[in-house]
Amino acid sequence: MDHYDILIIGGGAAGVSAARAASGRRVLLADRGPALGGVLLQCTHRGFGNNQTGPEYMEHLLRDFPESVELALNTTVLSVSPEKTALLSGREFGRREVSFDHLILAAGCREIPAGALPIGGTRPEGVYTAGQMQALMNLRGYVPEGPAVILGSGDLGLIMAKHLAEAGLEVTLVEKKDSCGGMARNRRCLSEYPIRLLCGDTLAVLHGEKKLSGCTTAKGVYLPCKSLLIAVGLRPEQELIAHLAQPEWLTLCGNCRQVHPMVEAVVQEGKQAGAAVKKAIEVCL
Amino acid sequence: MKQYDAIVIGAGILGCMTARSLRRWNISTLLLEKEEDVCRGITRANSAIVYAGYDNKPGSLKAALTVRGNADMEALCEELEVPFSRCGSLLVAYEPEAVPKLEKKLSNGRKNGVPGLKLLSGPEAEAMEPMLKKGVAAALYAPSTGTVNPWLLGIAAYENALQNGAEAILGREVLAIRPCPEGYQVETREEVYQTRMVFNCAGAFADRVQGLAFAPEVKLKLDGAEYLVFDRLAKKPERVIFYQTQSSGKGITAIPCTEGNLLIAGVRKDMTIPYATSPEGLVEMLDRVKELLPETDTGLVIRSFGAVRPNPYRDSGESIPDYVIENPAPGFYSLIGVKTPGLTCAEGLGMLLAQRGAEYLSAEENPDFDPKRRGISEKDNDILCQCEQISRAEILEAIRRGASTVEAVKRRVGSGMGRCQGSRCSGEIARLLEEYGHGSL
Repeated sequence: MDHYDILIIGGGAAGVSAARAASGRRVLLADRGPALGGVLLQCTHRGFGNNQTGPEYMEHLLRDFPESVELALNTTVLSVSPEKTALLSGREFGRREVSFDHLILAAGCREIPAGALPIGGTRPEGVYTAGQMQALMNLRGYVPEGPAVILGSGDLGLIMAKHLAEAGLEVTLVEKKDSCGGMARNRRCLSEYPIRLLCGDTLAVLHGEKKLSGCTTAKGVYLPCKSLLIAVGLRPEQELIAHLAQPEWLTLCGNCRQVHPMVEAVVQEGKQAGAAVKKAIEVCL
Repeated sequence: MKQYDAIVIGAGILGCMTARSLRRWNISTLLLEKEEDVCRGITRANSAIVYAGYDNKPGSLKAALTVRGNADMEALCEELEVPFSRCGSLLVAYEPEAVPKLEKKLSNGRKNGVPGLKLLSGPEAEAMEPMLKKGVAAALYAPSTGTVNPWLLGIAAYENALQNGAEAILGREVLAIRPCPEGYQVETREEVYQTRMVFNCAGAFADRVQGLAFAPEVKLKLDGAEYLVFDRLAKKPERVIFYQTQSSGKGITAIPCTEGNLLIAGVRKDMTIPYATSPEGLVEMLDRVKELLPETDTGLVIRSFGAVRPNPYRDSGESIPDYVIENPAPGFYSLIGVKTPGLTCAEGLGMLLAQRGAEYLSAEENPDFDPKRRGISEKDNDILCQCEQISRAEILEAIRRGASTVEAVKRRVGSGMGRCQGSRCSGEIARLLEEYGHGSL
């Protein structure tokens, strides 16, 4: 079994930043994707760092990436044990168990799916999470059918509203709160495109036998639509360590610790995590 | 015109089991299904419970088939390589007035031959299932109750039927059935088939399908129930917990599924749109879960769905408690009104129909019949569905076996059934489907 000083799970902004800061120690960085970057790779809009796109910003983060960091791409971490071992499953190398002294979990977050919400009606095709649609459009060139409804006007909801409006779809945003959420720069799309915003309301019922035909809000507004995007929130991806009782060898950083609205904060947290763990190891030596 | 000995209409679990059973004899069989995949109707939205058989009236067909179907479920699941868990169940009562009901079911169950039934005291039940809210008055323990994945069992029977020479055409709706001297002509939009026998297993549409040829004496009224699926991390009882309050209409059932999820079933209610849920109903169910199993983290729901139950009644309005096998003319058999515990009885009902068909045709046994179906066990190290850890090899095998949509793949291997509900893997699965010649997203 190979041994590492530090195993980092997740090669997005947090994991890459942690790996940079921890380099010098024996580090293994595992990511399920074919390339480092995580969710940034599907964020083709601008607004990262120096008004860069997600992939551009990632390129910047990866400049002079230390060669000493060992990468395990296309790799899923199946489990982590209290004995400080992890079982990895990789497309290229198969199953592999590794041991480590420290684990940095930088697995990001996942979206709350429609199924988790008390929305009634049928279960037709045409319902996606916002990030799922972002990946489908930006990485796979898919364009959904309009009109579209987006539930949730946070940053991701707004970014997708703009995306869909740019693709020529009629878009309605439904927001539970009394005013639109998200950052000012993401709200700008509301004045630039004919996006309808319904505040103080939420979705109650979906219609359509096989394919989505519309939805009705809690206040009884019927919205015909062929696509529905759920953008109601993100949950830190912590299930891999749910059975562990916060051992001292475990550090969480980035969106899997707490969802951050800005990538810069994620990078900062990753750096701090990597540096702190490296220091802890060196103090013990 | 293509000719068959038997045409089975409807590829839910009943139609699939019937087609499989028919192939135990030398009976050429065609299975027709209007949906693009099998088990898309009543079978797909089911409690997954393999009932013990204490609810049914002694002497009824339902009671006999349930107790036998329950006893045979291990062997069936072994043949078809489908996971089965004989987890047992508790029917709990919190109100002393409800205890006589439990005693009645105990005596019913004993008459039906249900093994191991036991009336437990409150403390005994609470010790057996520590998650239960305290204050149980009594509970009926049935060790033979189990759970099985309903659509997986149906798909397995379907694959085994095909393996044994049955033919099947999906996406083909039967529009007309005409009696003729040789039997029946079954008409679809695309083709007309000649058959000696018709087996109507059309589930929620069984009365209408019979109506294509003969006036049905039994009709169906549909009602439904709502279900909540929890993340596998949610704490769950070890056994199925049935909970019905005295003031009926307030119960729920908690089911530990073979996949590791907690499934909650609500009570039966009227349903205007088949398979639809109501937002109020879902919220109310969460309150009831909290009431029965106070430790449940209700934030861990990942999916909800509505089920449909076909309730048979006569023209007079009288409802029929038992299963109905109509035989309006020689060689025509209709299964009408198969509801709970239809999953438990599916194999038995299929066998019953096939036996009657074999007698009618004086068919010979099929010496080559092989009851074994191989489950999907191909695995590689390329994990596509992160939540359920389903690999590319499993998904490709599902596609090879005929899955043509992301949903069909999901039902065969479980991809997309986890906490992200397919939001991360469905794009790649759709791409694989496209690569193997099945449409697009």
